[in-house]
Amino acid sequence: MDPMAAIRETFFQECEEQLAELEAGLILMESGAAEAETVNAVFRAVHSIKGGAGIFALDALVRFAHVFETALDQVRSGTLATGPGVMNLLLRAADVLADLVRAARDNGVVDETRTAALVVEFTQISNLGHELPPAPKSQPTVCAPVPTWHISFTPTPALYAKANETALLLRELRRLGPIEAVVDTTHLPELSEMDPEGAYLTWNITLEADCAEQAIRNVFEFVEDDCDLEITAAPPAEPSLKPGDIITGDNGFSFEFFPPPVFDEEEPPAVPEPEHHAPPPSPVVRQSPVEAMAAKAESAAAVSATIRVDLDRVDRMIDLVGELVINEATLSQRVLEAGIARASGVAMALEELEHLTREIQDSVMAIRAQPVRSVFQRMPRLVREVAAQTGKQARLVTEGESTEVDKTVIERIADPLTHMIRNAIDHGLESPEKRLAAGKPAEGLVRLTALHRSGRIVLEVSDDGAGINRARVKEKALENGLISPDATLTDDEIDNLIFLPGFSTASTVSDISGRGVGMDVVRQSVAALGGRIAISSRPGHGSSFTLSLPLTLAVLDGMVISARGHTLIIPLGAIVETLKPKAADVFPLDGEINVIRLRGGYVPMVDVAASLGYSDEFVELDQSVALLVEGEGGVRAVLLADAIHGQRQVVIKSLEANYRAVPGIAAATVMGDGRVALILDVDVVVKTTRSELNRPEPSVLEAH
Amino acid sequence: MDHIHPGADTLALPPILNLTAAAALLENLLTLRGRPLSLNAGDVQRLGAQCLQVLLAARAAWAADEQELSLADCSEDFLTTLNLFGVAPKSLTYCKELP
Amino acid sequence: MCTTVLTVDDSRAMRDMLRHSLLAAGFRVLQAEDGLHGLEVLETERPDVIVTDINMPRMDGFGFIEAVRRDEARRSMPVLVLTTEIDAEKKNRARAAGATGWIVKPFDPIKLVEAIRRVAA
Repeated sequence: MDPMAAIRETFFQECEEQLAELEAGLILMESGAAEAETVNAVFRAVHSIKGGAGIFALDALVRFAHVFETALDQVRSGTLATGPGVMNLLLRAADVLADLVRAARDNGVVDETRTAALVVEFTQISNLGHELPPAPKSQPTVCAPVPTWHISFTPTPALYAKANETALLLRELRRLGPIEAVVDTTHLPELSEMDPEGAYLTWNITLEADCAEQAIRNVFEFVEDDCDLEITAAPPAEPSLKPGDIITGDNGFSFEFFPPPVFDEEEPPAVPEPEHHAPPPSPVVRQSPVEAMAAKAESAAAVSATIRVDLDRVDRMIDLVGELVINEATLSQRVLEAGIARASGVAMALEELEHLTREIQDSVMAIRAQPVRSVFQRMPRLVREVAAQTGKQARLVTEGESTEVDKTVIERIADPLTHMIRNAIDHGLESPEKRLAAGKPAEGLVRLTALHRSGRIVLEVSDDGAGINRARVKEKALENGLISPDATLTDDEIDNLIFLPGFSTASTVSDISGRGVGMDVVRQSVAALGGRIAISSRPGHGSSFTLSLPLTLAVLDGMVISARGHTLIIPLGAIVETLKPKAADVFPLDGEINVIRLRGGYVPMVDVAASLGYSDEFVELDQSVALLVEGEGGVRAVLLADAIHGQRQVVIKSLEANYRAVPGIAAATVMGDGRVALILDVDVVVKTTRSELNRPEPSVLEAH
Repeated sequence: MDHIHPGADTLALPPILNLTAAAALLENLLTLRGRPLSLNAGDVQRLGAQCLQVLLAARAAWAADEQELSLADCSEDFLTTLNLFGVAPKSLTYCKELP
Repeated sequence: MCTTVLTVDDSRAMRDMLRHSLLAAGFRVLQAEDGLHGLEVLETERPDVIVTDINMPRMDGFGFIEAVRRDEARRSMPVLVLTTEIDAEKKNRARAAGATGWIVKPFDPIKLVEAIRRVAA
């Protein structure tokens, strides 16, 4: 890649990191929990974006970042108080900055009126009007070229203390033309009385050069404040630059002369007078050993605690470890088949290998594990936007941002979460008036929590709104023919009706939660991830959606079963218990569905082989085993199979990627003996029975 | 210490005569004061203004003491930088005037 | 022997950009991510010129320059400040800390190289 394109890409990557940091910091500030370092980090984030944007001449971004940064600097210095109004403005500015970054990256466009409006707001709160960044303007200081210049130059000790050097300045002057220097030693003290680091000499220099005075000033630009400098021309040169003047070149490059020097007096330092012999300070524990980079052509930055790795490499590694797990299982199987005793050295070594393989797999998966923070950080903006659109007041509280989950899962939880949060504000929270009337604060609370529970990640979105209006839900379900009029449903069952396809409780389908796209879509996408979603609600106190997902989409704990000679895997998370069904408990229902009586209730039975089309005949009950499984929403079914072979962890191979999507089958895996086994999609199988029970026409699960 | 000229001490100047070398140079010269001295500038690569000041002040001191101060073996860099500073090598040395 | 420049900047894009420009100018380039990291690099390396950013985590440019100037063995190293700051107060702080020169971003690579050559012995 062209190096500039690569740098540009790096810049945008960093922008995303800075934007996340910015948002997290602002939210901390809003909550009042911010420390000084938080404000600094927020400032640095915007500052850094501005700096990088300058390299690539992203002017709109630079201009807005500058206004934003100036306000943050005032916050940092304490001249701008962060009341709710200011925090709100800063948060909105962060959103606009994010839009500008993405527009710059994708050559997109942004809503300029929104940007301009925010700039105006900033101007109003902090009187920044006069501090807009100077547009790159050149300042032509044209003066007649003269052949001879006289320069009188007297350095102060400060000049040398800052590692400037007269010899270098003279060398620089000589580049303009021939020079003749005469050193004036008038003020040189007696040897025994001199300070070796004092400055006692004056140089009177004659320069013959056809140049402007500015060119000479440029030579002294870093030291103007630390020396006495007089420049005169044979014909007096016109406008001379004063300290504070800015020399501006192309690309916005500029040098500014420092303010007039104060002689014989060091400026009051902002920090205690540096002691020359004090050791260098090390206030922070060193994080990394000295990583000096020997660089002839390519010097690489030494990075302390983290490294960046191309994701493809990690994915490749995970694939390979998956193969390793399969190979290890194959080997175990072969050893077993060869009749080698369990206590033999081979078997024991193999056991160690198995243990090690498992550990490698866990470690490799941990590399790809990421905190859910990256997804959570997008949510505050969503809450602000949805709240603004619906005229509600909402505050988001997040917990467990550092909960880690595999990257494959991270990428896919953003959409369901977005939907759930939209739903919580749009349908869950009441309007401020209604809340006040109900004795609640006008501002509603939406809580987003992540935690690990029994090998899964559980995400919870709860609100302190009105809760689910069960009468209304039931009425709606009846209208839509989702339940029969005489159905007696528990509160939980009513609540979970909202996950049925096409269900929408709001009388007017709003723009926010999507047009007719209800929670059923969320449920489907969650199910596709091997997850489950459930709702609980307390009228008047709010609702809570609980989303449970596997920690990874790469491996799965499953139960190995066989059905008519086919090996299948049932995800362990879906299995409630195994049963030995008795014929007396089985009752035929209309059609081809049997139900089994289980602890007073009836659960539909599914012959796995039949449902997948392996056989037209149903398995004999006394020759089968049964597994009680639970799909999402707590829907249960009993699966019938020939035998259960035990539990094992399998590496998931996407069927879609390797073959094509098959209904009823979630994915595939390769077993130890090299055979491919299909992983059953329990939700689809369970749903099939359910729809067969509820609908007049049995839906057909086509097996291929 | 080597004696190039009978009765004269020699001070070999270090290669880098920058800001941080000035204090040591001054100290060395103060201990050698009152006797003839030969400065060896053969190794000098860099000469900063503050060491130049010390050398100029030393010249004045040796002249005041009426002791000989001479330069031996000047490096190219040393002479070039002196020239840049507008200092002739002879203004760093002192020769007792013959009666 | 070629001139060695240490760049201290927390932005990877900026470090890449500096490295690209400085390598093209024939300099040897060392990199550090912030002031503390810069000091670590200085434990084993003696760059001819240091170019540092101001706003950085852990140790900012002011702290870094002060630390360099306090170190007897390093205090003669020229340190150029490269930053987007245009505020006079910060400039004065950098001067007080001992900065050799000040360059405002966005920088012109040619001018930057000139500035480095100017302060490098």
